[in-house]
Amino acid sequence: MASVTLKGIKKNYTKDVQVIKGVDLEIKDGEFVVFVGPSGCGKSTLLRMIAGLEDITEGSLYIGDTLSNDIHASKRGIAMVFQSYALYPHMSVADNMAFALKLAGTAKEEIAQRVNKAAEILQITHLLERKPKALSGGQRQRVAIGRAIVRNPKVFLFDEPLSNLDASLRLNMRVELSKLHQDLGTTMIYVTHDQVEAMTLADRIVVFNAGIIQQVGSPLDLYENPSNLFVAGFLGSPKMNLLKAQLVGVEQGIAVVRLPKGVTLRAAVDAKRGKVGDEVTLGIRPEHLRVASMGEAGAVPARVDLIEHLGDHVLAYIEIPGINDILSLKLPGHTTELKYGDSIHVLFPEDDCLLFDSEGIVFNRVRK
Amino acid sequence: MASNTLRRIIGLILQYAGLLAFMAFTTFPFFWALSVALSADPSYIWLFPDAFVPHDFSFMWFKRVFAEMPFMVYLKNSTIMSFWTIIGVVAVSVMAGYPLARLKFPGRGLIFAGIIATLMLPSETNIIPNFITLKNFGMWAAALQEHLHLPSDWNMREWVGLNSYFGAIIPNFAGAFGIFLMKQAFEQIPQDLVDAARVDGATELQIMWRVMVPVSIPSIAALTIFTLVNAWNDYLWPSIVMNSKEKLPLAVGVFNDLTGPFATSTSLVMAAIVMTVIPVLIFFAFTQRYFIGGLDGAVK
Repeated sequence: MASVTLKGIKKNYTKDVQVIKGVDLEIKDGEFVVFVGPSGCGKSTLLRMIAGLEDITEGSLYIGDTLSNDIHASKRGIAMVFQSYALYPHMSVADNMAFALKLAGTAKEEIAQRVNKAAEILQITHLLERKPKALSGGQRQRVAIGRAIVRNPKVFLFDEPLSNLDASLRLNMRVELSKLHQDLGTTMIYVTHDQVEAMTLADRIVVFNAGIIQQVGSPLDLYENPSNLFVAGFLGSPKMNLLKAQLVGVEQGIAVVRLPKGVTLRAAVDAKRGKVGDEVTLGIRPEHLRVASMGEAGAVPARVDLIEHLGDHVLAYIEIPGINDILSLKLPGHTTELKYGDSIHVLFPEDDCLLFDSEGIVFNRVRK
Repeated sequence: MASNTLRRIIGLILQYAGLLAFMAFTTFPFFWALSVALSADPSYIWLFPDAFVPHDFSFMWFKRVFAEMPFMVYLKNSTIMSFWTIIGVVAVSVMAGYPLARLKFPGRGLIFAGIIATLMLPSETNIIPNFITLKNFGMWAAALQEHLHLPSDWNMREWVGLNSYFGAIIPNFAGAFGIFLMKQAFEQIPQDLVDAARVDGATELQIMWRVMVPVSIPSIAALTIFTLVNAWNDYLWPSIVMNSKEKLPLAVGVFNDLTGPFATSTSLVMAAIVMTVIPVLIFFAFTQRYFIGGLDGAVK
């Protein structure tokens, strides 16, 4: 087991094309870290650089205490699981798992013992003699993970391992991966574009965009305190409601903003570095918006555009007159009286409102 | 509804008619030869359609082939030469195709273009340079033999020079077609598979021999068949290089012994040709199953 430290890591494909623009990150021994971000943000490239499959243009990579920039992939003590599984099609499951050990010259009895142990952990003992083409997608995924386990790596690298599986299988494998991490206690780095995987698996999430780390933190911390607009918009489903507004008042621990057409809202943030008149963005999660009665203070009139019943909760899409964006509202599952075209009032609780400046950087929340 | 069904039926009929016509077109020479070889009575062999039906059915001509020429000697020569040609062509094509497909080095494009350009030369242009090269090989081998005081009955001149198996097959080893075919095959293999092997600790050569080559078996099988047919039927070059009868392959032997001004019978030639073709057909039947699905189950 080992920690992984990235210092000023950069990757250029050509002089002008830089895909990783300076990454500093410390991954602790035994930690489960998830890299998440949209397609093309550089997260997979960074993983492949850690694996030794891509050269590092600049910066240093430490696995444990060893500077590993120029160490061959097979000598880094890492094992990688690929999105496509990348099983050797001409070898049986057992041979697939034993391949690395055979190349390393491990004794036959030890290979057999380690393969059997990994197969037991993953419950694929009955598949050991089969070829990959005789396996289902989920089984192939297990074999790919088994191939990683037998090597007793210091660090596991996962490159979107679940994206080829169907929804229910993905859920199962997610739970199993979590368990596997608990059992093995090995450092794991996991790349995904699926924020649900990121939220559920990670000890810490690293959000990437355009080759830069946007934010690092625990899943809940990122969800509740995004440091900028990108992170706020990326995590959470449905997405956080984001509204263009103008800062009209900065008080002690409260910012007052005005939406187009004059609706005034309050957010419990410290907006001292902003000036009155600044363009800002107000953000509120769908589950924090509340349906209010007409007389309530601060209630904003709105119209229901669409209702989606999802069993455990109801999603309402509403429009506030004069505002182009459609807001989403997450309501308890028994809220059945709403229907298309209803006029309602909604409340923006000030403690749940976030405010971002014109650069997209968040104003710190004020906790009372 | 009815017109749809009708259209489908007509379409099917046309498809089958086309395929059958094509099959007839490609197979009629063989069936003609077969029918002539099986007819003891040769008087119908130029008549259509009687030539396609054996008259006075008999294996007599086949028996006569063994009497008229050393068929088994030629068969042995053809087998030896074809076997080593296949080994040579596959080895060269794999080892040249892999770096062209998978490794990055300066001049890669130029080298590939050069190899492909040789496809545009007619093969006859190679005859004289290859002949001179082989003659020199033979002289050097003889000189080496003398220099090392090796027994004179070793006759090393005929190991690598003119009138040697080596000489008859070596020019065919480096074929642009095979290199091109294997390059395409290696390019189709997903990068993840190579990366997985690299992480597992395989060197470039191990990646090639233990992952890429087994996965490319269908392409190698196709190349093998293609090479076998070419080597088995190669006539011109062996007929130039080989001058002793006991080293001739079937194609040259059948032509030399059974045709020409003293040729005895067309039926005899046809029987020899049929027997020449059959080993290739058998080989094809056995290798056919390797053509399918080398990459099944690798990714996704």
